Amino acid sequence: MGMFSESVDVDCAASGQPLKLRWAGQHYTVCAEPVRWYERRQWWAEERRAPLGSGPGLVDHEIWRVQVRLDPQDAGEPLTLDLSRHLGSGRWRLVRIHDALQPRTA
Amino acid sequence: MSFTHLHVSTAFSAHYGVSWPEELAQVAAADGASALACTDRDGLYGTIKHLKACMAAGIDPLVGVDLAVFDDDGDHRTQLAGRVVVLARGHNNGAGYRALCRLVSDAHARTSGKAGGAVPVAVTRAELASRTLDPQTLKPVLTVLIGPDSDVGRAMGGRRYLRPRTLFKRWLEAMPAGSLVAEVVSQLTTPGKPLSTAHAVRMLKLAEEHHVPAVLTNAVRYCAEDGAATADVLDSARTLKSLPELAAEPLLQPNGQAWLKSAEQMLQLGKEIIRAAGYGTADLKQLMAQTEALADYCRIDPVSDMGWKQPVVPEASVIGISQDPHLELVQRCEAGIGRRFPGISGPAHKEMRSRLEHELGIIRNLGFSSYFLTVAEVSRMILDMGVRAAARGSGASSLVNYLIDVSQVDPLQHDLIFERFLSRDRATLPDIDIDVESAERHNVYRKIFDRFGAERVTLMSMQNGYRARGAVRDAGMALGMDDDDVGEIAKQLWRFSARKFREALVEKPELREFAGRVEQRGFAENQQLDLLVDLTERLDRLPRHISMHPCGVILGDATLLDRTPVQPSGLGLPMSQFDKHDMDPMGMLKLDVLGVRMQSAMAFAIREVIRIHPSKAEVVAAGAHPAGPDGSGPDYIAENGHIDLNAVPLDDEPTFELIRSTHTLGCFQIESPGQRELIGKMAPREFNDLIIDISLFRPGPMKSDMVRPFLEHRHGFAPEVYPHPDLKPVLQETHGVTVFHEQILKTFDVMTGCGLARADEFRRALGNEVLELKVEEFFRREARIRGYSPEVVDNVWGTLKAFGSFGFCKAHGAAFAVPTYQSAWLKAHHPEAFLAGLWEHDPGMYPKRLLVAEARRLGIPILPLDINRSQAEYRVERVADGADAGKLGIRLSLNGIYGLSGAELKRIVAGQPYDSLADLRARSRLSRPSIKRLAQLGAFDSLHRESGGAANRADLVQHLQKLQAAGGTRKGLDIMEGQLALPLGDVELRNVKPGLPAPTLVDNVRAELDLMAIDVSGHLMDSHRPMLDRLGVTTADKLLGLRNGTEVLVAGVRIATQTPPMRGGRRVVFISIDDGTGCIDSVFFHEAQEQAGLLLFGTRLLLIRGTTRRTGPRGISLSASMAWDLSKVETLPFPENQREGTDVPHPLDGISRSLAITGMGG
Repeated sequence: MGMFSESVDVDCAASGQPLKLRWAGQHYTVCAEPVRWYERRQWWAEERRAPLGSGPGLVDHEIWRVQVRLDPQDAGEPLTLDLSRHLGSGRWRLVRIHDALQPRTA
Repeated sequence: MSFTHLHVSTAFSAHYGVSWPEELAQVAAADGASALACTDRDGLYGTIKHLKACMAAGIDPLVGVDLAVFDDDGDHRTQLAGRVVVLARGHNNGAGYRALCRLVSDAHARTSGKAGGAVPVAVTRAELASRTLDPQTLKPVLTVLIGPDSDVGRAMGGRRYLRPRTLFKRWLEAMPAGSLVAEVVSQLTTPGKPLSTAHAVRMLKLAEEHHVPAVLTNAVRYCAEDGAATADVLDSARTLKSLPELAAEPLLQPNGQAWLKSAEQMLQLGKEIIRAAGYGTADLKQLMAQTEALADYCRIDPVSDMGWKQPVVPEASVIGISQDPHLELVQRCEAGIGRRFPGISGPAHKEMRSRLEHELGIIRNLGFSSYFLTVAEVSRMILDMGVRAAARGSGASSLVNYLIDVSQVDPLQHDLIFERFLSRDRATLPDIDIDVESAERHNVYRKIFDRFGAERVTLMSMQNGYRARGAVRDAGMALGMDDDDVGEIAKQLWRFSARKFREALVEKPELREFAGRVEQRGFAENQQLDLLVDLTERLDRLPRHISMHPCGVILGDATLLDRTPVQPSGLGLPMSQFDKHDMDPMGMLKLDVLGVRMQSAMAFAIREVIRIHPSKAEVVAAGAHPAGPDGSGPDYIAENGHIDLNAVPLDDEPTFELIRSTHTLGCFQIESPGQRELIGKMAPREFNDLIIDISLFRPGPMKSDMVRPFLEHRHGFAPEVYPHPDLKPVLQETHGVTVFHEQILKTFDVMTGCGLARADEFRRALGNEVLELKVEEFFRREARIRGYSPEVVDNVWGTLKAFGSFGFCKAHGAAFAVPTYQSAWLKAHHPEAFLAGLWEHDPGMYPKRLLVAEARRLGIPILPLDINRSQAEYRVERVADGADAGKLGIRLSLNGIYGLSGAELKRIVAGQPYDSLADLRARSRLSRPSIKRLAQLGAFDSLHRESGGAANRADLVQHLQKLQAAGGTRKGLDIMEGQLALPLGDVELRNVKPGLPAPTLVDNVRAELDLMAIDVSGHLMDSHRPMLDRLGVTTADKLLGLRNGTEVLVAGVRIATQTPPMRGGRRVVFISIDDGTGCIDSVFFHEAQEQAGLLLFGTRLLLIRGTTRRTGPRGISLSASMAWDLSKVETLPFPENQREGTDVPHPLDGISRSLAITGMGG
């Protein structure tokens, strides 16, 4: 499993669930029901300000674990990725790439 | 669809909850909720505020608590097994709330009431089970929620699959049927972690398996997402660890999802859990329905369940009354007339009678007779203890209080209005405050518990919220900043709210350096400072802990402990979890028994007078008292010399002369620089002037510039102006300026005919945006009908609007003025005893050492510490020989010497006198360091002289030092032991080897400051004198001779720092310094603050440049333009030819006890 952070473009359903993403010039489609949770951020190290009224997204960010296949539909094993969405700005980043064979679920 | 949150911590869950009950209730109501729970941790701290907030928001309150449970398998005194939420069921005439109160008291019963006690706040499962059932009906009246933080929930993540099941079964076995529910919570954390959906699913399935209802909650800690960061900081403050440390453990909340989610969001959460469990729609419906069903069970009726606003007073039988309480009150008032108004007749009698009937009528109608009898009972009990007591506050407005000896002020004489205290239209229990000697306060409390029974009495608590300094310290700790750095910053924060930190950075000169650091845009090093400001602002006002209120005692009937939970206070007596804001809603009778040091100081002074002058004749002679009716002295002095201070007439000329001289240091209420200035300008001639003076020296009148016109009219510089002739009788005593609440009431009454009771309602509506408009409408309409011109109406309304909300109640002023007058009277007639009392009880605003200067000014000798003559308290003593022979002096006390223990002190005094050091060692068993310290302070000088030894104090100290160093074994070098019985004098002292130079004055003064925080041998500024002369400094005693507007340099040690509210809201800093010849009050306006910057609040020794301002015939102060730190010699403005500044040794060098010496903390 790799840990890094890279900006990605994500198309979502109305419910906020990711459907497609563009990453490193490639297009991917989400091929299984994703899992979502919220993870804490080390905001005291990452932010310069934390005034009252900062709103959502200071303490945690939304994580989506998605299984994707490269477009156009290839037949190989899907990739498991963790995407984070910043709650304030709505920006997406790719934060982890998992060993494709062992997707963890709840 | 609506959703009820059953598990919500408010900000009153100290160091845990973030949001105020009002915010939570408003947000819940706005989302369509019909009810909301408050389940604070460890107590019902926010419960009453929650009730109020829910009623205001139009929703039903639910009340409960979040409690730790002792581990049945572990040590029952210390080991915990998770936390549960307990909710009270409602609409059962309080059975649920009663059980909840008692349960919370159980949880605290074993704790010590002191910070850091070993026993945690928790209940055993057995207590929980037994409180759950109502003792009358044996039906469950509490519901226990087993959630993610319970032992069951915490076992969910473990490897032992069966563990949660086993634990859950134990709960089922232990608790009465129908009292348990499973609390399902998902805060959408990382799958498989605590508070994840997976855990919620497991809890749901466990409930299903055992046929226990499950409810959905969000374990709320904050109202909205934004509160999550504040919760992080609170976690840090609670655990005393920084955020990085907590994150590593990991002990922080896993994410920021614990907010009061909307009904829609909670439904989504429910759906997600049900889907993950593999259940269907029916199960979702059931989960949501069970949540609402439990909420319905627990809806509380504030009136029938909690006794909302229903006053409860002790049973008549407890206060020894067998007849109708009102009849009893009437009889006691009758009995009081003879005592208070001997020989009253004619119109005065008629007026008094009609006033009494009026008051009694209102009291009877409100049913408050027992209340007055209760207060009278407490008051009588205190006086029977021989403790000085005085009523304060609006209670002084009542003739009934005066007649039954609760108050000492005649309301008729001072024109005080009963309606300001109590009226038909005001159905809340009035406040009566009783001031007692501070040293006797705890005894008085214990006596009240004895007298009324522990089931009817508890102390009131107070909530201590974050203020700027505490907030910046805890914010700094959360960020992992260096303690010293944060301490430096905290020191500069001076009386402003933490919420205005960023604003203050821009405005306040003393924060300029810090602000500069924040502004430098280097991310790494200054990110922390920027965050520090934000987090400080987040903490502002949040409750930190509760403590014993300084004066509130709650009195009730035998059901009191069913209505408030209690916990041990530091004093050992039980303390309610409710604060003063909760009293009125809960119908609780609160008595303020306030410890006033001045009362102790005065009581001490009177005892000293009688000790030194044990007969009436001697007291009369010593105090120069009038000859009295029969020539033997006034009636208020008893044959044995005891002075009945309360009986001293309020028109003593020497007393007013003293007050006008502005030498009022030590006098109650009138010793501050601002007050001395005002007194100097006003020159009080009679008691009523004192009442006015005290009432004027308040934020309101100062801010709105009432003082200047008042003084101009008083001294006839400008003609008095009345808005209308009808108001002249109302405003005459204050020369046309509205000062008192009583005048506002009368103004309303005169111009609208509304009656005084309604007038007081109107007064209290002033300042309230909504109500004030209605009052204005009424006032204008009615005044117009009565023929007042539009100009008059406009003018008067302007005054009412401006002064109404903060004017001062004359009854308060009158009650305050009594001890003011009494202390000035004592100072005028018995200054030695009075100063000894001040030293002993330290009632004033200045450091004790300033009284030394005052004693010098008054020519009262201060007698040094002496092992045979000094006692455990300051004593007045007749000087036996020397230049002052025959005078009364004050002997320093052995109490308060650094390092001398209470036990040592007791043994010294018990063994006096001593004929030698060996005798002292043998009988007082003093530690060697204590003996050395006493020697440093000169306590053996007279013994030493008597022994005929040739050595000096330095030699003796060195001798003792050697003994101390050599003293390995218990007896060590105590070779002098055997001489105890020989009347040979002190061989040891005689034989101390001379040789060292005698200690310098600076050495002695330093020892005194270091060990006693006072400088007696010389003034601590004396050693600076040569340097000050070179600087051209003017001394305090010369200032009065200078003309107004002279530019001078002054220097001294700081004794007081104040930032009183001022006109226009601009901060003004008063700094008083003492230079050994007197006090100099300097005022720093905006410009000067800019100049002085950091020096304003951080420096002990100051050099100040300023111009003199005359403040009255006998008063002068300084308008400062610049200040320097006197200890930084190189920065001082020496004249050109005097440049070379040599540093001299100073007594303050190396002494860090700033607070006691300069009155400044840090």
